[in-house]
Amino acid sequence: MQTVEQVPVTVLTGFLGAGKTTLLNRILTEHHGRKYAVIVNEFGEQGIDNDLVVDADEEVFEMNNGCICCTVRGDLIRILGGLMKRADQLDAIIVETTGLADPAPVAQTFFVDQDVADRTKLDAIVTVADAVHLNSQLGEHHEAEEQIAFADVVLLNKVDLVDEKGLENVKKRIKKINPYAKIIKTTRCAAPLDEILGLNAFSLKRVLEVEPDFLESDHDHDHDDDVTSVSFVSETPLNMDKFQTWFGNLLQTHGQDILRSKGILNFAEKDERYVFQGVHMLMDASPMGPWPKNAERNSRVVFIGRNLENMGLQEGFEGCKS
Amino acid sequence: MNIDLQTKNIVKTKLEQRGNEYKIKAPVTGSVVLNNAVVTSFGDGSLRFFGLNQEPFEVKAHKGVILTMSSNGQFVFTGGDDGKFLKISSDGQINEIYNFGSQWVDCVASIENFFACSSGKKAYLWVNDDSKPLIMDNSSTVGGLSFDLEGNKLAVSSYGGVTVWQRGDRRWKSSRFVWKGSHGKVTFSPDGKYLVSAMQENEVHGWRIRDKIDLAMAGYPSKIKSFTWAGSTPFLVTSGASEAICWPFDGKDGPLGRKPTCVANGGKQNATFVENLPQENAVFAGFQDGSVVLSEIDETKKSYLIRNATGSEVTAISISNDKSHILIGDAMGNILWSPLWAGDN
Repeated sequence: MQTVEQVPVTVLTGFLGAGKTTLLNRILTEHHGRKYAVIVNEFGEQGIDNDLVVDADEEVFEMNNGCICCTVRGDLIRILGGLMKRADQLDAIIVETTGLADPAPVAQTFFVDQDVADRTKLDAIVTVADAVHLNSQLGEHHEAEEQIAFADVVLLNKVDLVDEKGLENVKKRIKKINPYAKIIKTTRCAAPLDEILGLNAFSLKRVLEVEPDFLESDHDHDHDDDVTSVSFVSETPLNMDKFQTWFGNLLQTHGQDILRSKGILNFAEKDERYVFQGVHMLMDASPMGPWPKNAERNSRVVFIGRNLENMGLQEGFEGCKS
Repeated sequence: MNIDLQTKNIVKTKLEQRGNEYKIKAPVTGSVVLNNAVVTSFGDGSLRFFGLNQEPFEVKAHKGVILTMSSNGQFVFTGGDDGKFLKISSDGQINEIYNFGSQWVDCVASIENFFACSSGKKAYLWVNDDSKPLIMDNSSTVGGLSFDLEGNKLAVSSYGGVTVWQRGDRRWKSSRFVWKGSHGKVTFSPDGKYLVSAMQENEVHGWRIRDKIDLAMAGYPSKIKSFTWAGSTPFLVTSGASEAICWPFDGKDGPLGRKPTCVANGGKQNATFVENLPQENAVFAGFQDGSVVLSEIDETKKSYLIRNATGSEVTAISISNDKSHILIGDAMGNILWSPLWAGDN
């Protein structure tokens, strides 16, 4: 069977006024010559300069598949399906979400719908954040936390409007929620586009390359953020059966609270590295080639979510050691 | 009954030997029967008419993808991502019925005196060419539209179920058929007693209209993109599995508590399109690799490979009204237009 090239899909999230449309128009004008489809929401900011703009209405569907928190974007399934019937090949698709959208259903759509997964791939979730207002937004809207938690890239915009200390504070806060996200500081969204597009952030291979960036000053409790992250490292190899049982149970019982998970695993008696990444209860996992000769063989896992302290994560992970 | 579709030594099938092949530079998005022609729609907005005694001709209809198409025997109705709902005659004359602007036209349906389309959450119904449509609101985007054979009912599927609009003396009245999940393509059984929809989940759902009893037809390995009614039983034949899955809709309770008949095996891949052979207890199943298998709906009978793999999934199969010709189309724009029987030409 002919293998069809998957069209990369970049998801742009961020609160109203953060600068999503500015970024979108930069992508469209600076990368002229490339064919983009832009999927926008009907309540979004106006003025997008592209000949292929599709209106979407962010219909979130619950999947009737026994998975309690599995929601997908029904409109996205329909629109991506339609776009894949075009005679001309698209270089990329950009999905802009409303300011108050939870990114989980978008991400889950790429895990759950086979047609979407066959023909397109989630490239990255890019969250545009307003350096001036993010702090207060994080306190007031859980959607803001989710958008940071799901981000592969946080474009911290309007940095010219805050002082050094304010900027450090907001960066710290982002890192506390999501140590994986790459933070790009900009004014008027003037970031290099190759740091935003073509990232392949959802490919398992990329999990190997990304090091979580836990700040040293991890322990300040200035803000009581709902969403936090934890990570564990083990030099002792893990037992595969024990890990699968623990992790499977964990996602079953706490999948609603675990927004994202990622890890590289070193199993006893296995020569290959195992890599996984998940969104709520849905997970991708695969062996990813042998360990590099000079690399340390250790296991590293990261969880981003709510109520992580009540899941017995540390004990569970320790219990997987062989 | 298994057919090895991976064979390297490809021998042309009889149908391929006597038919004509076309390669169009756009995906085939659908096909319908119009008089003795078969009309195909494409991802570049064009239609092609394949007639019995003429060269196929092209009609440029939409600016973008033709997303949906229906025929009422006299006209073809198309909906596109250019927001247009068009009515096209057998000689290719285009009549724009409605322009939704930037909104896509996702579904269309037609029958002798009625035609309908949907765009977003609204379904639009035209009665006897009245210039103003009846507008039916839904709480979510319409996933499928279908008239019953008599044109007394219009089914509108969406998230959470299907709404059936029934024609009354003065107005259309609605009745809701509920089932959790998102519903797409929808159809009435030929006798009008059952309603069936394909779901976002890998299953089809049915209701007996009289008492709204549920018929959950699940267990598929992939989404059901295509179904058709076949034979006198009749069977609801569905894609989505490695064989054509045929649910019996005879008797008092239809498929309730019964097993489907599984025919036309495609090996380690799933059927993407199914079509009945009119007036016969037989079905064509098109697969992910572009191959098409013909089989009687009888597990003891042999099935026949009538179209070799093309490398791209089957997206259209139509049989001309006089049953003399078949058209097969795929997602890469490959078309086979062939006399169905030896000796006919």
